[in-house]
Amino acid sequence: MSDNALKKIFLNVFHRVNGAKFVPFAGYEMPINYKKGIINEHLHVREKAGIFDVSHMGQILIPASDKNISSLETYTPLNLKKIPSNKCHYSFILNKKGGIVDDIMISKININDQENIYIVYNASRKKILNEIFNNIFENYSILNNRCLIAIQGPGSHSVLNSFLDLSKTKNFLDINIIQFDNSNIYISRSGYTGEDGFEISIPNENSENFINQILKNENTLLCGLGCRDSLRVEAGLSLYGNEINEDITPIQANLSWALDKNRLEDDNLNGSSILLNQLQETKKTRKIGITPVNKTMLRNNMTLYNKEQKEIGYITSGCFSPVLKRSIGIGYINNFTNKLDKLFVNVRGDFEEVIIDNIPFVKKNYKKGG
Amino acid sequence: MSEKKYTKEHEWVEIEGDTATVGITNHAQESLGDIVFIDLPTVGKEVKSNEELCVIESVKAASDIYAPIDGEVIEINNNLNDDASIVNQDPEKDGWIFKMKMADPNQYNNLMTLEEYLASLEN
Repeated sequence: MSDNALKKIFLNVFHRVNGAKFVPFAGYEMPINYKKGIINEHLHVREKAGIFDVSHMGQILIPASDKNISSLETYTPLNLKKIPSNKCHYSFILNKKGGIVDDIMISKININDQENIYIVYNASRKKILNEIFNNIFENYSILNNRCLIAIQGPGSHSVLNSFLDLSKTKNFLDINIIQFDNSNIYISRSGYTGEDGFEISIPNENSENFINQILKNENTLLCGLGCRDSLRVEAGLSLYGNEINEDITPIQANLSWALDKNRLEDDNLNGSSILLNQLQETKKTRKIGITPVNKTMLRNNMTLYNKEQKEIGYITSGCFSPVLKRSIGIGYINNFTNKLDKLFVNVRGDFEEVIIDNIPFVKKNYKKGG
Repeated sequence: MSEKKYTKEHEWVEIEGDTATVGITNHAQESLGDIVFIDLPTVGKEVKSNEELCVIESVKAASDIYAPIDGEVIEINNNLNDDASIVNQDPEKDGWIFKMKMADPNQYNNLMTLEEYLASLEN
């Protein structure tokens, strides 16, 4: 079964030396946590700054030619000609039913006087997206020669500001190209933890030096995918394969804020008429936060029941919240359920009561208008 | 107190008279990661060895704890209700999970010695 051998990210050995515990994730051997454990890493990000190597994610650079832009607009519900340069947008690759093939971060950046579209996409969706990209784009480059490093937490800016020029990434979702070790790095003020932070696309050969430079600051800590998941659940953010998949549209996933509504009138956009209808009709389900009444753990894929023990929804993400010190969950529920109705999950044969909660569970701390 | 013995499910067992104290090994707590909640067994519950008795929830996953021997649960470590991380901090002493009255103390003799348990981890 050599096809199933786990791929290694460029800094695999570096992480091993630094005490990483590895798990298979989306075909990669990835650090789930380091010596201090998931809870300490999670709290460190909320209080100071954590470093994540997310180089398993896909990165692609596409020349912003008319043809490439028009092809991408078939899949992505944004007006790509009009979006400003140097700004990241959370968006999607959509199928013909308006379902989410992947959720992506997309931006326009200028490299060597040429406008490019830069997309970061999920590791678990690389195969299907690379096929789509190969079919629709000309002269694109998949950036396998680059790592993607995130630094997240309220201390991120001061950590990076000591050795990088952050004057063009002052606000949430700004993206720019700056120099590190005589190489171009793409730095964006973004992340997926609900905290202020940066994501940096950096040539493989500069990546270890870059992380070591960050680690010199005593407020930083290497963090694994374990706390990245609990951080994003606390922040109420969707994860591909949990909250979203090919059978769920951005509207059904409460992500219609990320759609350019004008594009829903455009036949060139996959699923545009379906999405337009969904936007106008009453939704059948809605996304909710879930909190257990007693001490119990909510887990992915648990069914939600009403007091008559009828199935009325399910949990898409359940975890322990290190900030709230209890379990939290995100899920979908029949939209006609009253916020005050009693809900239950079945935990090993016992019906445990849960209540509908607001998401995010922890207030987002993005840097805006600075 | 007797010499500690071990199960292949990574539990330790210590006996005094016909009472067995049961917890999980340091190796088990390390691989579970941060433990956040333990669904403790009910006092009075009668079980056969290898039956699922309670569940440890770590940040990563839920793991079953099995009865190492036949018998009846006579005491649970209520401190773990307030702070399950005691099992991470001190798995083989303060982090004990339950005590049981053994139906057949001979079963204890069939469990692994420390040496045998450590050897089993290497496989």
